[in-house]
Amino acid sequence: MAMDILLTLLTVVFALMVVFSKKTVVAAFSLLMTLLSLAMIYFQLGTVFLSAVQVLINAGAVAILFVFVMMLINLEEFSNNRERNKVKLVISTFTMLVVLGVLALVINNNIETLSIVNLSDSSMTALFDKLFNSYFLPFEMATVLLLASIVACIVITGHEKHGKEELKEQDKMGVE
Amino acid sequence: MLEATIEILIKTIIILGLPLGSLPIIIHVERRGAAFMQKRLGPNRVGPFGLLQPLADVAKFMFKEEVQPAHVRPFFYTAAPMIALVVALLPLACIPIAGPIEAFGRTIYPEVFRSEMGIFFAFAVSALGSYGILLAGWASNNKYSMLGALRACAQMVSYELSLSTSLVAMVFLYGTNDIHAMVAEQTGYWFGFLPRWGFFLQPVAAMLFLVGIFAESNRLPFDLAEGESEIVAGYHLEYSSMKFALFFMAEYIHMIALSALFIIMFFGGYSLLPGMDLIVDQAPSLLVVLQATSLIIKVAFMIWFFVWVRWTLPRFRYDQLMSLGWERLLPLGIANLIVTVLFVYFRNQ
Repeated sequence: MAMDILLTLLTVVFALMVVFSKKTVVAAFSLLMTLLSLAMIYFQLGTVFLSAVQVLINAGAVAILFVFVMMLINLEEFSNNRERNKVKLVISTFTMLVVLGVLALVINNNIETLSIVNLSDSSMTALFDKLFNSYFLPFEMATVLLLASIVACIVITGHEKHGKEELKEQDKMGVE
Repeated sequence: MLEATIEILIKTIIILGLPLGSLPIIIHVERRGAAFMQKRLGPNRVGPFGLLQPLADVAKFMFKEEVQPAHVRPFFYTAAPMIALVVALLPLACIPIAGPIEAFGRTIYPEVFRSEMGIFFAFAVSALGSYGILLAGWASNNKYSMLGALRACAQMVSYELSLSTSLVAMVFLYGTNDIHAMVAEQTGYWFGFLPRWGFFLQPVAAMLFLVGIFAESNRLPFDLAEGESEIVAGYHLEYSSMKFALFFMAEYIHMIALSALFIIMFFGGYSLLPGMDLIVDQAPSLLVVLQATSLIIKVAFMIWFFVWVRWTLPRFRYDQLMSLGWERLLPLGIANLIVTVLFVYFRNQ
């Protein structure tokens, strides 16, 4: 029990640090620690598989990209003079209220059926049965969403071709 | 309760003591091996055959003045070497050194953390290894360190892909994530003489994994993280005395852990070496000792292989490294995975 409370506290504290820390790299590492404490919570629940997946994918691959990029572009100089305008404040408060409201609604509607999840490694087959049978459509839709975001990334950062053509033109001009 | 605690304590001492205790020997082998390949003598003055040289080095590391440059970020600078070592030690927790032991009326598993997901768990936590290096490079607040850390990190993330494709292929082939079941699959002989090792089933996956562990542990020919001719010493440039030693230890421990995973998947783990089963027939009580000996001999050979390659091959250029990882090894790994999955599908029908 003490372990559960400790892990929950760790997760919440690190999650708050992600939002409120002034230094971006500290925020990125807090994100990593949040993901790792989540993995520990899964571990505590007895699902070694989920915990290992969390460590491998979220902590080992996703978070490292964040940290990598933040270190590369050295955001520290920009972080201290954050804009504090009113529009931003209103929008963020509104978003937070909507998210909290939806969460409260979902929890309130399912309050009777909520219980402590009891997963174990032996129920891994059951987990994938759920994933590939009952929730197959949402699962596939998530993959399409991911694909769309990849395409969006390529489109947004796809100035390279344009740049190359310009470079070639410059080269030609130089030759001429 | 007390019994379980004592059991875990003993296991932890064994699993931490073996690799940490063998570090001086490995470093000695490394230096003498380098000397042997370069036709020189190497350290041979301290003690017989220079065997006490590593101890002298440890004493030196302990008593050296610790210099912390003024421009570093102190918290992360101190945390980085510790993170590196702890993360390197984590995967050892679920690597069994011998088979299950029947004693005191129950089955005792020799690994600290027993799980059906053993190999997956070990691989997942070893993927965290790049954080120590990345943090060290950033906290040093030095261009060369940063470059070394970024190189190391990009390299580790890229080669993890080829590692994981070969791991998934082997998991499909054995149909299990349990290390003991994997080793059981590999015990015995084909045609009476060829050990049933995974290497003979999946040489491609074995090769991918081998290249991957060289890149993951930042060893030559992939030691671009500390390419001394270009970026001085990379991520540990600003570290001295025991903090530097911690990085050094982390690198060797990482090597040992990944070698052990390689041995478990492709060379039968703790299954007996050919010829040892004759001894077990005579004295069955020696089984556990011989299993542990087999694993240690195999891992020791892998460490020697690391030294061998280090002083044989030159370092890659960085673009060569990336194109090898993404354009050669990853497609090869995926092709191998598809073939393996089809094979398993038709075998099970």
